[in-house]
Amino acid sequence: MILTLGNPQLRIFRPNWFLTLVRPGREQPPDTAQFRIPMEMTKYDVKNYLEKIYNVPVGAVRTRIQFGSNKKRNHLNQKVKQPDYKVAYVQLAQGQTFTFPDIYPEKDQVVAEGSMEEMQEKFMEDEKQRQKLDPRRGGVTEWFGL
Amino acid sequence: MWEVTTAKMAASSAAGRVLTLCKQFQNVLRISSAINPQHCTANITKYQAHVYREKSPLVAVPFWYSPSSSAGQCRALHTTISRRGLEEFFDLPENWGEATVKSGAPWTAKQLRTKSNEDLHKLWYVLLKEKNMLLTIEQEARRQRAQMPSPERLRKVERSIIRLETTVKERETALRLLQTGQEKGRPGTWRRNMFGYVYWYRFKEYAIPWYMNKRYKRKRFYTPAFVQPHIRLRIEKHLRDKARKANREKETLMKLKKKLPHIKVPAS
Repeated sequence: MILTLGNPQLRIFRPNWFLTLVRPGREQPPDTAQFRIPMEMTKYDVKNYLEKIYNVPVGAVRTRIQFGSNKKRNHLNQKVKQPDYKVAYVQLAQGQTFTFPDIYPEKDQVVAEGSMEEMQEKFMEDEKQRQKLDPRRGGVTEWFGL
Repeated sequence: MWEVTTAKMAASSAAGRVLTLCKQFQNVLRISSAINPQHCTANITKYQAHVYREKSPLVAVPFWYSPSSSAGQCRALHTTISRRGLEEFFDLPENWGEATVKSGAPWTAKQLRTKSNEDLHKLWYVLLKEKNMLLTIEQEARRQRAQMPSPERLRKVERSIIRLETTVKERETALRLLQTGQEKGRPGTWRRNMFGYVYWYRFKEYAIPWYMNKRYKRKRFYTPAFVQPHIRLRIEKHLRDKARKANREKETLMKLKKKLPHIKVPAS
């Protein structure tokens, strides 16, 4: 909400604000979605944004600012600041629920014939075979002589 | 005879009822098109991905959103409401877990200049939603310690947005020049600050004149005499840095030439 002095208030035709839907770190109620929003946005901005652009019925919006740590240091011993960001907890109206989906499911690696991945797999398997001890020793380590 | 008149009256009243209904629809259309100009369509996109998204945009449009410019005063905007809500923050489900996702080239300024203002407005929101989606999946990839499929899409969308902004600004300045003769919307001027730099100072609206504004008077738009010598030192430092950088590059090239005399000198 960029408030201007006097009337009429500024109308933004091409909003330059981008929201990021994130997976909540803590357990949230089923109708709550968690967003990372730019610092300049307010609760009213988030509500209007979601309602007008995404046609999502919004109930309540609560925001907080997350402080990005300034504790880490780089190889020159200079402090490195992680950027601050604003988090918005949006409760959906009309009894809708939202669960964050699993976008990166574990897929079985189908290795194509004659490709780099297949050669790498073979190499790794050979290395593992070499690291294993002589099977005739029956699990006894090399420390014991003979 | 009076059957004819009743028939006529009935016809006129029916027509009148239809006309009033049409007028109500017109009013709804006018108000709705004034309040919700930002719903976007999937009609014009460079990205093929977005065309797959809204499979049937016409079906999704409810009947009172149809672009019938009846009154002639309201500019009808063909819009599509997104039916998928928060799912639009994610990619299509068949793209989840893929290694790469095919995407087209970014919009160039030349192509964008051929489009009308309505098309550019809609495209802005298409690009906005696409960027939101990409940011979401990027953050999720970082969270799950997985690789985001095709991260170059984000760069392409950013470039397209910047080019769109430049074309719109060009059109606005052209219109402003024609209408008022001013190039910039907000008045400003070149001023020198205390450190010797000349910069574009943009005017701000105050309730009182500048000579009554104590905070404004504390701001000095000239360089004091004791700062003058430091300006020269700063220029010298800058020139020295430039010369050193050029010398360093020349030396590296000479070393390379000595080691490998047959290489061609790369054009800098």
